[in-house]
Amino acid sequence: MEKLTPQQIDRLYTYLLQSGLTGELFTELLDHLVCEVEHYMWIGLPFEAAMHKTLMEANADSVQKLRKIYQRELTLADDQLAEASLDDILFQFRNKSYGAYAMRQSYNRTLVYALFGALGLGLMMIAFLHLISQKTWSYWSPWGMIWIAGVAAVSVAVVLYFLKQERWQTVPDGEEEL
Amino acid sequence: MEPVSSEFLRGTLKTIVLKLLSEQDKMYGYQITQAVKERTKGELTLTFGALYPVLHKLEQEGLLITESVEVEGRLRKYYSLTDSGNEVALQKISEFERFVDYMQQLFQTPPSIAYGH
Repeated sequence: MEKLTPQQIDRLYTYLLQSGLTGELFTELLDHLVCEVEHYMWIGLPFEAAMHKTLMEANADSVQKLRKIYQRELTLADDQLAEASLDDILFQFRNKSYGAYAMRQSYNRTLVYALFGALGLGLMMIAFLHLISQKTWSYWSPWGMIWIAGVAAVSVAVVLYFLKQERWQTVPDGEEEL
Repeated sequence: MEPVSSEFLRGTLKTIVLKLLSEQDKMYGYQITQAVKERTKGELTLTFGALYPVLHKLEQEGLLITESVEVEGRLRKYYSLTDSGNEVALQKISEFERFVDYMQQLFQTPPSIAYGH
């Protein structure tokens, strides 16, 4: 079987690139076209003719059509779409295990913890300033209560944040969870 | 490809792909088009535009799994049936065989038969 040179493969590569394909479909079609050109060369055509014949069949139209079918058919089914979040749609054909998906997924939760933490720190600060100005301290005063509430809010926020963070790492890769 | 056969082909693409994959361990896209061409002596041609959406759809439905292998410096994606894919393949094949049977019965019905009243 004839093998294409890297330069010849590069021409097919450029062709596909120009037709606007990306991602998974790109590598797959490249392999397909290379196989086809090699097949035509094996039955005796010179490279130029083989490539011409292959590209005639794979003209830009059909590549475009394929891309459209691909987008339409392989998007989420209706019932999945009803439950999917913006992140699910955005990351449908993207790498979920990389981390951005998990960060986006947990963003709202993280925001709540951060607010709690900030509120708690604020309460602690108020109580602390009161202590400095009054020079007396009792846990059984309103200021003492504020201090305790602040410490509690901060620790709950920090503990929950780290507990949930561990769970981030188990976000599955790929489509299984869709 | 003849327009007529393409019309029939469209409805059976899934079955063809499942059937071919049920006979082989794993196949890649071009190999499937070649297998169809060889078996039908060039009468039926699967275009890549028809084939890949079906493959990806089946993959999405969990009937196929893929495996990328580097061949001569480029990635080649092999498809193989999952367990549920095997079941569906068997079911589709027998369903299609029954369909072909019925079609034959339908077409062989003698023209002299009296329809209704």
